[in-house]
Amino acid sequence: MKINWFKYSAPMNFYPLAGKLIPIFWIAAILFITLGLYWGFFKTADVLSDQKQYYRIIYVHVASAWMAMWLYAVMVAWAMIGLVFNTRLSFMMASATAITGTVMTVIALATGAIWGKTSWGTWWDWDPKLTSFLILLFVYIGYIALQSAIDDVRRSDKASALLALVGLALVPIIYYAVNCPDPNECASLHQESSLERVESNILIAMFVTTFGFWMYSFATILMRVRIIILERERKTSWVSKLKEFNG
Amino acid sequence: MNEFFHMGGFGAYIWSAMGVAALLMVLEPMTLMYRRRAVIAQIKRTKRLEERRTNNQKN
Repeated sequence: MKINWFKYSAPMNFYPLAGKLIPIFWIAAILFITLGLYWGFFKTADVLSDQKQYYRIIYVHVASAWMAMWLYAVMVAWAMIGLVFNTRLSFMMASATAITGTVMTVIALATGAIWGKTSWGTWWDWDPKLTSFLILLFVYIGYIALQSAIDDVRRSDKASALLALVGLALVPIIYYAVNCPDPNECASLHQESSLERVESNILIAMFVTTFGFWMYSFATILMRVRIIILERERKTSWVSKLKEFNG
Repeated sequence: MNEFFHMGGFGAYIWSAMGVAALLMVLEPMTLMYRRRAVIAQIKRTKRLEERRTNNQKN
């Protein structure tokens, strides 16, 4: 099957396609998140002792933290495609990705604080990973604020795309912030992300939940991009011909 | 069942972490549905106004 990708770079063709995909992503999101959490809570009964039960926060914490970083990279990719090819839809996708990324960052920080309270005895510490993650939240908010501060859509798209690109430097910093080779040189509370040390049932639950969160992100980003398309293309004839406005 | 919610004494932490995630992931699509409805209503309104204006010009 050959798909004409250029066809779907036009908002007019992408709008109905996104509409068809949204329910599929919602079903997948609900299915995988339910499955992942079910596995995580009911299939790991003998893995964790009572003193380690708080470990179960990992399913939503890791899933949201990974999505927060991944969506940032996705947002920058869309913004760059927009800058290079000057396509309207790419900028709309970048802007639609930002808020879901912010939501994921907030979930990761909140669940991380709760986990920190149980395992380190503190809600917050200026540890490298926590600090760089907080800056990621500020960059997301900065991107959204900058975009809404400039009235001219094309200028706001370009300015915020550049801000997003600069902020990309954060993603590897966050990722490597805890992989501190010598504890005497760099202190970090946050444990290393060493997947091989995690028990396999917990790992399965974590990956399945993460996949569910990814599907959730697709669903909400597509819902948002459809709204942005309507807002920006409201004066075109294809929008006024949509069945939403005739019937 | 009680034991399940108790989670070895960490129940309050675990369920509030799950609760924060669930709350945000329900609120986000809800605000999107609300925003979509608002945009559609607004475009409908301007469309009606324009139609009225062109009709007036004809008369």
